[in-house]
Amino acid sequence: MHDTTLSRYIDGLFGYAMVLTRNPAAAADLVQETYVRALKAKESLRPSSNVKRWLFTIQRNIWLNELRRSRPQIVELEAHDDIADVAIATSQDPHAQYVSKLEQEMVRNAIQGLPVEFREIIILREYERLSYKEIADMLGCPAGTVMSRLARARAKLRILLLGNEQSFQQTESQKAKGRSQEG
Amino acid sequence: MNPCDDAAAVLRYLDNELGGQELETFRQHLESCPICQVRLEEERAFSIVVSRSRPLYRAPEELRRQVSEILKQRRAAGSGLGIDEWLLRVLQRPVLSRWPHLPLGLWALTLLAVSLCLIFAPDVVRRMHAASYVETAVGTHRSYLEGRLAPEIQSDSPTLVSAWFAGKVPFDFRLPASRDSNPVYRLVGARMVSYKGRNAALVMYETQREKISLLVASTRAAEIAGGDEVRSGNLLFHYFSQEEFKVITWSNHGLAYALVSSVSASARESCLVCHQNMPDRDLYRTRP
Repeated sequence: MHDTTLSRYIDGLFGYAMVLTRNPAAAADLVQETYVRALKAKESLRPSSNVKRWLFTIQRNIWLNELRRSRPQIVELEAHDDIADVAIATSQDPHAQYVSKLEQEMVRNAIQGLPVEFREIIILREYERLSYKEIADMLGCPAGTVMSRLARARAKLRILLLGNEQSFQQTESQKAKGRSQEG
Repeated sequence: MNPCDDAAAVLRYLDNELGGQELETFRQHLESCPICQVRLEEERAFSIVVSRSRPLYRAPEELRRQVSEILKQRRAAGSGLGIDEWLLRVLQRPVLSRWPHLPLGLWALTLLAVSLCLIFAPDVVRRMHAASYVETAVGTHRSYLEGRLAPEIQSDSPTLVSAWFAGKVPFDFRLPASRDSNPVYRLVGARMVSYKGRNAALVMYETQREKISLLVASTRAAEIAGGDEVRSGNLLFHYFSQEEFKVITWSNHGLAYALVSSVSASARESCLVCHQNMPDRDLYRTRP
């Protein structure tokens, strides 16, 4: 396995770390530690192993250990500007980029508003495209639990997204109203 | 079950998690069910909105630089075997055949170095013990195939076989009853064997074409480690291909298990021999 194989997962690992920690600095530390541990354990990885799941599992285990070790210090932060700063920018025309960025922010905020077990399962399935079985192996639970948790997470995310969308539309229409009154 | 009653069926269909007959049944149902069609479209639209925001986050440049540095340092340090991996590989080979030309003095020094390494590398010792358990399981299975280890009790009843072991092995051992109404394998019988001076259980199974054996010993005597590791629920399975056999080992509640077969598939896929009619069969299929 080449190191380049490992580096291609950096965005996915950082995204997963963000939904686990909701803190960009903690997420970056977590990703770095994941790479350090993965390199130490690299020899044990078989050619047939799923590298992506292996890396994500290492990262999850580090996070869980850290959570157990220093629970009082771990505080889940609310989504703030720092988080938005590390979001990916799209390469579209300015208007499409603006709309896409808003939509992405809405989705991101809605996901960060979910409980951690829902955030985690949404990112593993919807963004990392892991199968139910791969997620079940990672989380150490039956595939049936993954299925039901994912269904609840999606339902909750849908509600949160709808709320965000409605408040966004309200803000936009208020802005438009304000502009027409000024005019 | 009517797919309409299974709320997760639409999501599983959307996620490509339905297969075989389930998929066919759901497709047929979908064609004639407007409720599920609407559900599917809603879920699909929702999934598209979520997918459009991929990737949700991009690693900051500083983190990319740091990770790149970590990988560079590793490359600079070389990618040779770690000391314990090296030791394990070396120790598993016949020593005389590796270095027949070494003079006696060097032999003594080598032995001393190896002894010191063993003291300071307990993981190596653990893995050697685990490899020894796998080898014993394979050897026992071969004896069973060649007719040198006949069952001491012949029965297809897990209850009878479990009762036969009571008081014979130094652990509480009960075979689970098959939950499969039409099992691919059947219990043939069992016998006592010895592992590291302690009694262990050898349970024999058969499929139409294969013989399968399960060696069970106390984890006080047997170690489980190494191989291709796959976690399933709370259990960690270790898959090995040894000689012409496939071996799967795991430990649970103080017992070490080694299942040996000679099916012509990967060790992981060999689970399908017994699990192909069970609900968890997809766990053992290799994804393309």
